[in-house]
Amino acid sequence: MSRRILRTGVAVFCALAFLLPLWWVTISAIRPEASIFAHLSPPGRWTLWPREPTLVHVLELWQGPFARAIFNTVYITAVTVVAGLVISAMAGFALSVIRFRGREAVFVVMVISFLIPFDAIALPLFGIMRDLRLQNTYTGLILPGIGNGLAVFLFRQFFLGIPKDLREAAQIDGMGWFGIFWRIYLPLSRPAIISAGLILFVFQWQAYLWPLIIAPDPDYKVAAVAIAQFSDFYGVRYGLIFAAAFFISLIPMVVLTAFQRYFSTSVASSGGKG
Amino acid sequence: MMLHRTTLVAVAFLLPALVAVAVLRLWPAAVAVSLSLDAPGVDGPSLENYRYIFGDPLFLKSLTVTAAYSLIVNPLQIAIALLLALLMNAAIPLIGLWRTLILLPVAIPQSVSAVVWGVGLRPDGPINGVLNTFGFETQRFLTSPDQALASIILIVSWIGVGYWMTFLLAGLQEIPKALYEAIRIDGANRWQAFRFVTLPQLRRTLTFVLVANTVANFLIFAPVQILTQGGPQGSTNLIMNEIYTRAFVSGDPSSAAAATVVLVILVLSVVILQFSLMRAPEDNLA
Repeated sequence: MSRRILRTGVAVFCALAFLLPLWWVTISAIRPEASIFAHLSPPGRWTLWPREPTLVHVLELWQGPFARAIFNTVYITAVTVVAGLVISAMAGFALSVIRFRGREAVFVVMVISFLIPFDAIALPLFGIMRDLRLQNTYTGLILPGIGNGLAVFLFRQFFLGIPKDLREAAQIDGMGWFGIFWRIYLPLSRPAIISAGLILFVFQWQAYLWPLIIAPDPDYKVAAVAIAQFSDFYGVRYGLIFAAAFFISLIPMVVLTAFQRYFSTSVASSGGKG
Repeated sequence: MMLHRTTLVAVAFLLPALVAVAVLRLWPAAVAVSLSLDAPGVDGPSLENYRYIFGDPLFLKSLTVTAAYSLIVNPLQIAIALLLALLMNAAIPLIGLWRTLILLPVAIPQSVSAVVWGVGLRPDGPINGVLNTFGFETQRFLTSPDQALASIILIVSWIGVGYWMTFLLAGLQEIPKALYEAIRIDGANRWQAFRFVTLPQLRRTLTFVLVANTVANFLIFAPVQILTQGGPQGSTNLIMNEIYTRAFVSGDPSSAAAATVVLVILVLSVVILQFSLMRAPEDNLA
């Protein structure tokens, strides 16, 4: 019994340790600028609780250029998730359900190509995209996120588990390949859609190197880059930085927590059977 | 004839993904190789760029820093992630909440973690506040050549460890309970159960996590670029920052391309190693 109490105590301690920096960000965002670095030494009751909570930073933040950056991130990520899901579900369907010569070869080529991490080839890709005049465009920002090998792999694995009888029955009824994909396979694939969607979402929401080099124009700044160049927009204002950090992190946290179950299973299927 | 039609349909379904692979991976990789073979002042393809970077102390130092960083950060993150997974794989009140709290930082972009810790590690920040309270001197952290790399490790681990814990937790939950009951009947203690059931059963997951983590850590860029620009004294100049600096700060695309090819080869070797490690035990089992 005492062992269980000890274990619980350690687990709670670890969880709170991971939460602590996040908590500090949150309360610093609603503190007056002057008290952000106060109450630190020695730590006291006001170290981890705002003495005079205020929304001035939050309000000023949303009236400034950061609102544009968050909009850019939301827009780019939403398009990436939708386009990426369509592309990878179609590819996963062709690589698992349709039988054609060279299928295994195509699959192997695709897997090996996607093993090259995107960030590693971001610089040569930058040269290509610049020549295509995709600098400072949403297209240039979105494109790298829509081709994702892991998403293709997830759909393929999931589709392989759907019984063939369903497809054969539909074919006897005269349904074409697109109908089978759209009306039979996709509606059955909620877990795969959510898992692959999460992968695409996280990739694009966190992207830093690519948006940094492809979109230097302030109109196309994404939030993850904007927060690193904050003083260019707002001057050195810590309350605003913390408010920005809070909002950039809040949205993916809500998404990740809501779909946590699917995140774990996607991880399990890629990790355990990869 | 029928077969031919089916192939056309398959091509139609595959086309967007194939174009994406070609444009987003193969073409840039080819561009990097051809750029790297095209040295300034040399006619035709040559290995001059490679000779140049491997004779450049800055590049060699960044390889050393990357190696040292990898050797510390990967075992450290995986050990902590495994301990947390073991801890969180138990009947504890509100276990879902504690798991979620550890997973929450995973959602935070690296650049945000960098900015937040950059403030937290300042001389007048909360970390030094706590240190001072316990009688320690104020530390420089990100501006100290001895502490900057450790600070970067802290910044990426806060958001990374929960991610790897999720993999390991999923792996732990797939281990059949019967195995533990059997070894307990044989009189094994907790350590022996871990050593002879948990570890071997978790082997594949651990291998995957190790390799995926190694690759991810080769590509760490945002915290370095935002907080230290590779300094002080090159102590945090990880290879991605070195490549970025060559291409965008020094304006030397051909040596940046050579360094990119070196990085891609490094990453692919690690991944191929993973495949050979993960295939081998299955053959033995059969």
